[in-house]
Amino acid sequence: MKKAGKVHKPTTTRKRLLLFVLFGWLLLILGDRVGELELYQGSFVATYALAITSVVLLTGYSGQLSLGQSALMAVGAYAGALSIFNAGWHPVIGLIMSALIAGVFGLILGLVAARLSGPYLAGTTLALAISLPTLANQFPILGAEEGIAFDVGPAPARFGEDFSQYKWFFWISALASLIMVFFIVNLLSSRYGRTFKAVRDNPVAAQLSGINVEQLKVSAFAISSGVAGLSGGLLVMLISGVSPSAFPLSLSFSLLGAAVVTGLYNLKGVILGGLVLVAIPEIADSLVSRIGGSDNLTTVLPGFLVSALLILAVVFTPNGPGHLLKKHH
Amino acid sequence: MTQFITAVLTSLSSGAIYALMAIAIVLVWRSTRVINFAQAGQAVLTTYIGYTVIQRTGSFWLALVVAVISGAVIGAVIDRFFMRPIFKRVKSGPIVMIAPVVATLGLLGIIQAIIGFVWGITNQSIEAPVSTGGYKIMGTVIAFSSYNLLVLVFVAVAMLLLTLLFQRTNVGLALRASAYSPEIAKLSGIKVDSVRTLGWALAGAFGGLAGMLYIPGYFLYPNAMDLLLVLGFIAAVIGGLESLFGAFAGGMVLGFAIIFSTTYISPKLFFPTAFIVLIIVLLVKPAGLFAPKKSRGA
Repeated sequence: MKKAGKVHKPTTTRKRLLLFVLFGWLLLILGDRVGELELYQGSFVATYALAITSVVLLTGYSGQLSLGQSALMAVGAYAGALSIFNAGWHPVIGLIMSALIAGVFGLILGLVAARLSGPYLAGTTLALAISLPTLANQFPILGAEEGIAFDVGPAPARFGEDFSQYKWFFWISALASLIMVFFIVNLLSSRYGRTFKAVRDNPVAAQLSGINVEQLKVSAFAISSGVAGLSGGLLVMLISGVSPSAFPLSLSFSLLGAAVVTGLYNLKGVILGGLVLVAIPEIADSLVSRIGGSDNLTTVLPGFLVSALLILAVVFTPNGPGHLLKKHH
Repeated sequence: MTQFITAVLTSLSSGAIYALMAIAIVLVWRSTRVINFAQAGQAVLTTYIGYTVIQRTGSFWLALVVAVISGAVIGAVIDRFFMRPIFKRVKSGPIVMIAPVVATLGLLGIIQAIIGFVWGITNQSIEAPVSTGGYKIMGTVIAFSSYNLLVLVFVAVAMLLLTLLFQRTNVGLALRASAYSPEIAKLSGIKVDSVRTLGWALAGAFGGLAGMLYIPGYFLYPNAMDLLLVLGFIAAVIGGLESLFGAFAGGMVLGFAIIFSTTYISPKLFFPTAFIVLIIVLLVKPAGLFAPKKSRGA
């Protein structure tokens, strides 16, 4: 999937589909070879990669800096959980509802957001990120602090007895992420995606060329919200339930950080970003156990590593690792 | 009636603290066009320094002075040795708007991690220097204490000093000129870079004051100011980001809206109120309530 959309040679949709299928097939084989823990971590990588995709789409491609991605993920998570838990729908429908409802929510929000720019947009989305999860406490149907269960159930019996729950999680999250990212990559390499870039790089020139800037920003917001919603649904599937505390503000910050670290201006790095988010707590743990630090160190080290990475990325590869290789005027 | 008086008084003292944080954010925004998310970290750091002073000497007042001064120093150091090199490095490309914001987010994480490492992540508390027991009005104890009154006085004095600095001194003129048009200010012989650093120092001092006044009554831990930062930011955006008076007014608007909705409707409306007020203000006036008429293109 990383190979999709080479810089100079345009890749056709069919070639890209082949690459995605190939990548999915590789994951399938890999999934049979690794242990339960790796499968579980792999599911998180796929989920975070999808969430980072939504950030790249919104901030990198349409130039709207949002700090509220965790709130949109929460909307998707609650929509999915309600569809499965309360309405009793099939989990697949639940995940589709995650994307759909979050997308509609994003559409409404985007109508407001398109009027705002820079710090005003950042402020509004930041306020959303802290206020929306607390709203869940207001309505009994949303389960208050305890939240509601998000249960996709065990794997179908036809996959065999030894098909574990974690492998099932991995299949679902990897497949959902692959399909969604495939859709987004195609969208961005279409005429539509080029207008995104035009609006980001020079809104005035884009407008003069007949592009409806406001409409484009709103649709970018809606699509990005849908992607975030699906990743939110996947995330709470992995932790088996949704509650306000699953979507802290720090999640938004981590996603933005990962997006910057792996390059805001293309989707090639999103898996790397997911890996970084999953790997950093592990690296911190092993570092602490090696040098024998205190409990304090264990708690603060992951945050320190993410932040340090963020600053290093801004200082050394502000436009993403890919730009180091590319000549730029 | 008592409830109403209580609500008005607590709105004033909450709003005053939001206003301090909003002013810290506006001072940095005016001088460098950056939303400084690290302000939450800076304010917590200075409050921890104040906490250490209290542990050693037992004096809140000395701690307050030390916190404000160290806030100014930390702010200046961050601008001179962190933000300025980043601005020099990241000059072109679409990242220009986002890089500084991301850098301050990273800095916030690093400061909080260092605090957690040095002071630990457990809750600490700071005793207020005066009584926090509520006053009595018509026989009932209200939720407004001598300490709240003290906060109001301090914020009023700080606002007055800041206004005097900006309106009556040459340094203030330089600060205003550099914010209004850096190029022309530079041509007129103002050392714009130094003035920017001064802006960061002033902001750091206000953050230090906000932290020391906010923490008594709450707990002190590495993330203690995150909420205050968000509220201060919302207040600053409501006020239009450019204007110091706007930041103060934004803090007060937010204070009144939050306290009144939580008193009269539901205590759970704290965050939703902040969001709704912000959305209403931005829909009616997208550039905030007190934005200058001529935008300088942020």
